[in-house]
Amino acid sequence: MSGLSRRSFLHASGLAFLALAARRLAALVRPGPEDDVPWKVQQVLKQLFGDRQIQAGHVQLDVPTVAADGRVVPVMIESDLPMSADHYVKAVHLLVDNNPDIHLAEFRLTPQIGQAFVSTRIKMRMTSPVRAIVETSDGALWSAAADVRVTVNGCG
Amino acid sequence: MGAAEMPPPLELGAARILVPTAIRRGDVIDVRALVEHPMATGLFRDPEGKPIPAHFINDVSVMYGDQEAAHFVWTSGVSRDPFVEFSLRADREAALTFTWKDNKGGVFQQSVDIRFI
Repeated sequence: MSGLSRRSFLHASGLAFLALAARRLAALVRPGPEDDVPWKVQQVLKQLFGDRQIQAGHVQLDVPTVAADGRVVPVMIESDLPMSADHYVKAVHLLVDNNPDIHLAEFRLTPQIGQAFVSTRIKMRMTSPVRAIVETSDGALWSAAADVRVTVNGCG
Repeated sequence: MGAAEMPPPLELGAARILVPTAIRRGDVIDVRALVEHPMATGLFRDPEGKPIPAHFINDVSVMYGDQEAAHFVWTSGVSRDPFVEFSLRADREAALTFTWKDNKGGVFQQSVDIRFI
């Protein structure tokens, strides 16, 4: 075996290891509920958006990591997408995977709103991922998701 | 759960809208609105064990002058005395009118005037 091929082998295996480590690290950083969408939620998304692709990004979802009272869970959704006359966020959808009504609320906006931002308070039956999906006037879909741990059932 | 815990009395449909006191033309202002409503899911029972029928706001319209600035579609998953906060580009002096409608035909309305300093 020549030294060169041995070196290139080491190189390649090193790169492969790095790639693997990077993926591990990414998974650690983002234990994303985005990656794992339950079947019942997929059905709701299909009903709302058909086969349109939903991308992660451009949405900031602020929810508590632990909600002491499932009857009142504050939710804040914000997007850096423009709110101009011809490019704007036309709807903000709020979904809670483990609630009786998965599609909890829809906020339809117009350019008059000035900034894509909505805040409200919701009920949560149990620990669940919360999803915010932003729909732009040209039909693009952007999303964010976060897990909320609930200690007191807020739905019945 | 929580049957022993009595919520404060409710004045159905009483609403408050909060906007900044000093607004300049073109400002993107913060609008907060709250309406008193049980937002009953239909899944709870009263202390006597009778089911509490579903009673919740499912439609909210926000008119700015004669144009609709926003429209919300809700379920009973929004908390009791539903609160919402959002932005508004204040580019004209006009009334900001909220109309909340519930699943039993209840209609509640409240407005504030957007005025510039």
